[in-house]
Amino acid sequence: MSAVLETLDDRLIVPSNAARGGAIQIDDVVKIYDPDGAAVMAVDHCTLDIPAGEICMIVGPSGCGKTTLLNAIAGFHSITSGTIRMDGEVLCSPEKPKADPGADRIVVFQNGALFPWKTNLENVAFGPLMQGKMGKKEIYEKARSMMADAGLSGTEHNYPGEVSSGLRRRVEIVRALMNEPKVLLFDEPYRALDSLTRSVMHEALLDIYYKNKVTIFFITHDLEEAIFLGHRLVIMTSRPCRPKKILEVDIPHPRDYSVLTSPRFREILEETSDAVHEEARKSFAAGEKEG
Amino acid sequence: MEQLDVLLKSAAPFRMAPDDFISKITGLSRRVTFNAGDVVYKIGDPARNIYIVASGSVRHSLGDASQSHNPDRTMRSGDVFGWASVLEGSRRHLATTTCLERTEVVVIDGESMINLFRKFPAIGNAVMGGFAAMIRQDFSLPKEAEHVYRIANQEIIQGEKETAVLTGFGLMMYRVSEWLKSPKPYLMMIGFTLFLGFWYLTVEVWKLPRFQDMPGLTTVVSEYLSRDPIYGMSIYTPEYYQHIWVSIRRVAIAFLLATALGVPLGLFLGWSRTFREYVFPIFELLRPIPILAWVPLAILMFSGSETPVIFLTFLASFFATALNTMLGVESIDESYTRAAACLGASRWQVFKEVIVPGSLPFVFTGLQISVGVAWFSLVAGEMVSGQYGLGYVINTSYTMVRYPTIIIGMVTLGVVGYVTSAMVRVLGDYLMQWRVREESIGGR
Repeated sequence: MSAVLETLDDRLIVPSNAARGGAIQIDDVVKIYDPDGAAVMAVDHCTLDIPAGEICMIVGPSGCGKTTLLNAIAGFHSITSGTIRMDGEVLCSPEKPKADPGADRIVVFQNGALFPWKTNLENVAFGPLMQGKMGKKEIYEKARSMMADAGLSGTEHNYPGEVSSGLRRRVEIVRALMNEPKVLLFDEPYRALDSLTRSVMHEALLDIYYKNKVTIFFITHDLEEAIFLGHRLVIMTSRPCRPKKILEVDIPHPRDYSVLTSPRFREILEETSDAVHEEARKSFAAGEKEG
Repeated sequence: MEQLDVLLKSAAPFRMAPDDFISKITGLSRRVTFNAGDVVYKIGDPARNIYIVASGSVRHSLGDASQSHNPDRTMRSGDVFGWASVLEGSRRHLATTTCLERTEVVVIDGESMINLFRKFPAIGNAVMGGFAAMIRQDFSLPKEAEHVYRIANQEIIQGEKETAVLTGFGLMMYRVSEWLKSPKPYLMMIGFTLFLGFWYLTVEVWKLPRFQDMPGLTTVVSEYLSRDPIYGMSIYTPEYYQHIWVSIRRVAIAFLLATALGVPLGLFLGWSRTFREYVFPIFELLRPIPILAWVPLAILMFSGSETPVIFLTFLASFFATALNTMLGVESIDESYTRAAACLGASRWQVFKEVIVPGSLPFVFTGLQISVGVAWFSLVAGEMVSGQYGLGYVINTSYTMVRYPTIIIGMVTLGVVGYVTSAMVRVLGDYLMQWRVREESIGGR
């Protein structure tokens, strides 16, 4: 772990987002679920440092407890022990086991959580409207221009149910970015998409990242997705979950789809697939439920 | 078919279009001949026209900026280029096209083609889908393919409030005409004929054993339409409308009261766990008690003949509404409330912006059930107490041996019940445009 930290500055791509913040420190976090008195450990002494502006890919088999970690950062679940800090400030700790959800850490959900009863534009404007920080007119202007930047012009007045699933995911990311978050938390957002749409979404996400440079905490079980997007891979053990292998992806950003066929990409894939496969097998043997 | 039509039909995006429609498109086209080396358009030129190669060949080079896997293609007879003119937004050509030999092309003005499609949205969208597929597959530009102009969409976007009402009415007329074209109304007529025929034959023609005492079809119809009814009630007697009015008024009061109390109760039951612990057990214990069991208590509790009937009607509606609303709140996916919390919504804002609209589909299911049970318990109430109303008519007609009037009362209940429940459905559709539009597109 410490070796990784030392080499941080020597990386090929140094994410620079110090001014805006968004560094996440997960320190010795444990989460024990206690349904019906049978304690189940979901997260086992997990320690992980994510510098501001990094795309950190959390890879692990389905149901390994990575979503538990995400929920703890987002403030949906409490933790049992340990500390999670953002830019040095404590989000949750044994004294305050559940963080407050906030617009500085926004989750993009697995199945998408655009409100189907609001138009795409109303969805995008939702955050600032709720926080009451700006005038209504200003908010809608900003929402329109951000949607235009993301290539979503012409869909403002459609309801989410009327547009393609790929487009919906993009609207959801724009809705998050409207709040100028420090961290985006992705919970396998592209899992339900077909592979063609997914490949387009990956490039679109990188596009958005290059413009906004937020910290990205991205959960996936797709290793290729993880290598393609991430600065760093964190391969998790099967439940209870803890980092098993941490690896820098030294393919320079900006990346595009040609990366997928590059020799370095294949090398990294070979290097990591054994570790992931082993955990998947363990998880399968344990009969973990998906999700 | 003319030569031009055959050419168009062979072009990928138009394959789906019917023949008579193809000739409409060729009506918009003109032929242009280029010499070898001529440039048809360059990257960045305003995109107005669709081109289809008739003879010869054209080099189609996408710019370096494009992310296509095969940026350079040679277009031959039947190939289509210039599709930037059917994309959304500012239309600029994304490629440079150079004729490799003497080339004849068919040119179609993109804007007039889209205008034509607006009149035939179904075919128009099929052709646009063809363009999208071609751009994705042949030019390997999935991003651009997503931005192909969608007819129905754009119509909704451009239409402000006024046209939205107009399209609403137009849509209704369209649905009615589609319905008349389908076999449904005729099957329905056959169904009614068979039913009425069965009634007529069994009661009046064959006079079957258990049927002979029943009022016959012709007796009922002539009584119903008589200016001087034998048993005292027909569409010409003011009494008839007074009974209908009294029943409708009771149902309306009870239904509105049940909605005003049941929806908030259901919302809070679903939303607050503590509140639910207090109230729900009592609620669950009272709910299964049949309405008829409340009759004595209702008469004891309320004076007069009007309030007990309204109370009974209210009770059944109230339980249906509250329970469905609660289920509606429970049906809301947790990620919606979490997303709202992430985006900085307070607890009250989550309630207002997520819980209420999210449970609406269930609320309206509940309201439809509620109207149904309101009529049900109204009749039960009116049979026991009250001096007016359709239930009262049916009950007294029985004791006074006015059998045709019973049927008149029943038919009226059927019609009025159907109309009220249709009104609730229309109101629901109006308040939940997002659902209507989702369904019209085929759901998620």
